[in-house]
Amino acid sequence: MKTIEKLSSSPWMAWLVLLLIALIVPMAMGGYLITIITIVCIYAIVCIGLNLLFGYTGLLSVGHSAFLGIGAYAFGLIAIKFGLGFWPSFCASIIISGIAGFLIGIPALRLRGHYFVLVTLAFAVIINIVIMAWIELTGGAGGLAGAPRPDPIPLPWGDVIRFHSPLSMYYFILFFLVIIFAVSYRLINSLVGKTFIAIRDDENLTQSLGINTMSNKLVSFTISAIIAGIAGALFASYNTVISPDSAGFMKGMEVVAYIIIGGAGTLAGPLVGPLVMIAIPEMLQIVPEIRGLLFGIILVLFIIFLPRGVAGEVSLLISRIKSQSKHT
Amino acid sequence: MPPISINDTGDRVFVVAELGQYLVNGISQGCLYCLLASGLTLMLGILGVPNFAHGSLYMLGAYIAFYVVMLLNVSYLMSILLAAVILAVLGLVIYRFLFYPMRDAPHANLFVAAIALLMILEGAALLWFGGETKWLILPYSNDIITFGGMSLGVQRLIIILATLMVMLGLELFIKKTAVGAALEATAQNREGAMLCGIKVTQIAAMAFAIGTALAGVAGALIAPAVMILPSMGLGPLLVAFSAVIVGGLGSIPGAVLGAFILALVESLTSGYISATYSLVFVFVAMILMLLIRPRGLFGKEL
Amino acid sequence: MLEISNVSKNFGGLLALSEIDLIIRPGELVSIIGPNGSGKSTLFNVVTGIYRSSSGAIRFNGKDITHMKPYQVTRQGIGRTFQQTAIFSRASVLDNVIIGQRLHTRTAVWGAIFNTRSTRREEAQTREKARQILSFVDLEDKDSQIAGNLTQEVQKRLSIAIALATEPKLLLLDEPTGGVNIREIDGLIELVEKVRKSGISICLIEHKMRMVMSISDRVIALCYGKKIAEGTPKEVASHEQVVKAYLGECYAAPGK
Repeated sequence: MKTIEKLSSSPWMAWLVLLLIALIVPMAMGGYLITIITIVCIYAIVCIGLNLLFGYTGLLSVGHSAFLGIGAYAFGLIAIKFGLGFWPSFCASIIISGIAGFLIGIPALRLRGHYFVLVTLAFAVIINIVIMAWIELTGGAGGLAGAPRPDPIPLPWGDVIRFHSPLSMYYFILFFLVIIFAVSYRLINSLVGKTFIAIRDDENLTQSLGINTMSNKLVSFTISAIIAGIAGALFASYNTVISPDSAGFMKGMEVVAYIIIGGAGTLAGPLVGPLVMIAIPEMLQIVPEIRGLLFGIILVLFIIFLPRGVAGEVSLLISRIKSQSKHT
Repeated sequence: MPPISINDTGDRVFVVAELGQYLVNGISQGCLYCLLASGLTLMLGILGVPNFAHGSLYMLGAYIAFYVVMLLNVSYLMSILLAAVILAVLGLVIYRFLFYPMRDAPHANLFVAAIALLMILEGAALLWFGGETKWLILPYSNDIITFGGMSLGVQRLIIILATLMVMLGLELFIKKTAVGAALEATAQNREGAMLCGIKVTQIAAMAFAIGTALAGVAGALIAPAVMILPSMGLGPLLVAFSAVIVGGLGSIPGAVLGAFILALVESLTSGYISATYSLVFVFVAMILMLLIRPRGLFGKEL
Repeated sequence: MLEISNVSKNFGGLLALSEIDLIIRPGELVSIIGPNGSGKSTLFNVVTGIYRSSSGAIRFNGKDITHMKPYQVTRQGIGRTFQQTAIFSRASVLDNVIIGQRLHTRTAVWGAIFNTRSTRREEAQTREKARQILSFVDLEDKDSQIAGNLTQEVQKRLSIAIALATEPKLLLLDEPTGGVNIREIDGLIELVEKVRKSGISICLIEHKMRMVMSISDRVIALCYGKKIAEGTPKEVASHEQVVKAYLGECYAAPGK
């Protein structure tokens, strides 16, 4: 009881501990485990972006795989076909993802409810088809090979950080995860975030308060697209091979599932979801054939009985315990 | 290739046969989308459930037809009926245990539940049936009817005739029976129907079961003509949803019209522009409809 | 201040509003009365841009607002509350009033992410102003409570507070005492008077005649979408057609 109160009254402590664990423990892990947590981190990045759009602004997009794909292929194409280095390609892919998000968002956000969700799916499928069919540009089903790893970073004392090993890439991606997490934390706690939440809870009322909900939704959508694009580019750099699987529309639905299970509209949700749904099946060595079925069953159970997800239910539990201990 | 070409004597010839072929293809494909979209629009209109798993139900219909014919030596006609019945029962189970408990949940949760259902059905199919392609071979599978330079597989003809009968049956059911009238009433005004003493929950369950049965029939009808795979339902699902949007949520005539319009878009763009991008054109048509007239052709004012 | 000229609203075949002319002058408190379905809320919806008027024009302080979107109308200085109490039930009372001030804040994504000085200043200002507004409506002790858990009367006060946060020059109140029990009505009447005294013009939709009679400068009666009477509270109360309307019969107004 005391520890729970201590942890929840200064969440900084908990996050710091988590960060330390994330920094130190992997040094003792083998290559296979590091691969898993790296993938978890990449999906956590996508989930943070989608959580901003869905958990906090209330817009369900099942097609965010489109931006994963756009980020990955933009990065890969600029690096491979134009021969630019890692950083110019990376920055360009971020800008392109943002532009794509903006352009897709403008028509899509004029619709509400079911229609919006279906249009996001339509865009994801369209992008998937284009990726598969435009072979001269994207390599079709075969994809593109040769995406660069980050350039070596020189250290002040003459040594150099190279990004060949799994552990080095893990830290690189973890770095971006931490930054994007911090960005989303700031956004959510600001007036901008409060506006998103207001739109989620009652868009008509928000409009009647003089707030241009369309432009706010567009900002949220674009930011989530940029974040997904970053994840796509990081994934491409990590794999050095870009394949259409990363942009398949089932991926878009999987990411939504991660957020629901982790806890939509919470800070920890987008981290917990991918961790639970990716790391645990790998570690339990669950056969790939069963995974789809298991995934669906877990998702169904969560959406019926625990719709707030792990993080959501836990925080509800904590606040109940706190209010009970106030009365006793 | 454009429909107008120049023949050996240098005259312009409207290649009717080619255009006609695409139209015929479109119509037979449209029948399938019509069955899927009708069920989907019932579910979305009456229940507010956007059933993403509809394609998986269609896939199950195909697998049922396959196993029942190939392994149990049942006649193909029987297999279609069995698919309808089994899928109807499955529909009732799904409604009772998944969507009915969630009737008050935000619509986003319903979407997620449907996605979960899709994963479960596909996962189960992968596990029990295996991922290898199955083929339902019937004695007449390779027979083709030709007329006026166009050809139509016998199975495709069966699809068209069967769809005609099923849709006619559905229409008669809705217009001529008391239960059908209750269905229509609930679709138009749920509260009003409740006030009239209509048991809305039972009607809703029936609507769901009719929808799943229609998907099963569609799957059984297409089974002899395509590769049977756990993922075969995803493409038709997307077109069916587009058809529902084009036609207007909750309107069966709209779904029918939308299905055929989009099937023709798919077929004509596939023939004249590009087969790989034909689905893109279908979606562009759907997106355009949403931007110009969001309620669809026959939908209610939003 | 607010000029509604010849406004009609047609829903398919249903004529919800028919050739309404209405003027509200600065500082006035005008009440709109009429039986259910007479078009009162529809009028508010047309003024605030939720519905598009089928014909006619609406001007506010000289500006044509007929075709403006709801958020643009609010920015012109018209605030409103809703018949079905509209608040952010999952947020705290304080957060509700903070959001009401959003249209006057300039914090955007950049400032939010980097927690700039102007962002922090604005956040502190909105908090402070929210507390002031809450004490104006007598809710300052409930600022940290979740809005959805409160009683109907508190929620009605909160919705007025949220509307006040938008700094309106004209406030449209749609049945501010709806669902409130009799003992609490006087408190709300006092609050509405207080708002009016602070310089905000008010247009009020109400069923409770005690409220209408005691605080209105002018009363307008609607029936089946038409204006059937206009005048001081006493004049309208004794107007023959108004009485008949409330008893169930409605006639077209003979001129004005």
